[in-house]
Amino acid sequence: MKVKVVTKILEANERIARENRRLFDNAALYVINLMSGPGAGKTSILEKTLALGTGLRIGVIEGDIAGSDDAERIEKHGAPVVQINTGGACHLDANMIYEVLQDLPLQDLDLLVIENVGNLVCPAEFKVGEDIKVMVLSIAEGHDKPLKYPLMFQESAALLLNKIDLAPYLDVDINKIKKDALSLNPDLKIFEVSCRTGEGLSAWTDWLKKKALKNQKTADDKD
Amino acid sequence: MHELSIAQNVLEIISEQCIKSGHTKIDSVNLRIGRASGIMPDALFFAFNAIKTDSLAAEALLNIEEVPVTGLCNDCSHSFIVQEEYILNCPVCKGSSFQITSGRELDIIDMEVS
Repeated sequence: MKVKVVTKILEANERIARENRRLFDNAALYVINLMSGPGAGKTSILEKTLALGTGLRIGVIEGDIAGSDDAERIEKHGAPVVQINTGGACHLDANMIYEVLQDLPLQDLDLLVIENVGNLVCPAEFKVGEDIKVMVLSIAEGHDKPLKYPLMFQESAALLLNKIDLAPYLDVDINKIKKDALSLNPDLKIFEVSCRTGEGLSAWTDWLKKKALKNQKTADDKD
Repeated sequence: MHELSIAQNVLEIISEQCIKSGHTKIDSVNLRIGRASGIMPDALFFAFNAIKTDSLAAEALLNIEEVPVTGLCNDCSHSFIVQEEYILNCPVCKGSSFQITSGRELDIIDMEVS
């Protein structure tokens, strides 16, 4: 006998992502899902964002396969942080986020940053209830990355091109990265930054602040 | 990369649906997987066959229909199919404003139970 199923394979994940979304909305919380390959500088960018003082109350969820180094780095900046160890899984999914939300003071935060597992492929495929996805690519990873890993570039609202201070020492074609990324996603906002020199970081934090505050205003309007 | 967890999701969903329908055995299941979904059919076959033992789907045959990536150009209104897993511009007018109309599917369509 034939049985019609017609279900999204990831429906269970999407259902929990919607529940996370509801909890975020209740707390008027803006949420970004921060993604990159390993070593691109996600945690460094977060540290700089916290140190620059956006005026936002920022909480962080750190996703790593193992270890708590990243959470310890964030904790030093005084931000509430929870570490998730995926124990081998290549991405964070909605349920992993749901299970740690009770450990964060959601009502006292303006912005929640979910730092995903370092991986240019899988994190882009799983919604966790975020408002936007933001990705980091360090220029040392090479200019072929947008076309090799198109999904993450397509899904992201912003791209931080990190380690831009290394440009004089590399043969990487930064214009090609930007051109290909924009072809995949014409609405992508690109920031060239260096966590080492501080270049470009204030443009990023200004943009992020505007996004988060606009979210609060929309939430207030709803009240 | 995470075809195993996708296979586990498939197995959970079809087992639940099989029980709901009042049957005890899944003979086959049909999936539709977009080429831009990030899932490789070969890896999914391998994962599904590895975990299906001792389940209602122990003898189930997995069928995967691959869906090509298609787009609709916002400039010239042409619909088009690409061979790649992404679209950079409209192959007709080369415009860079387009909508992806298929290729991201990750769906279970139906199954045979007995």
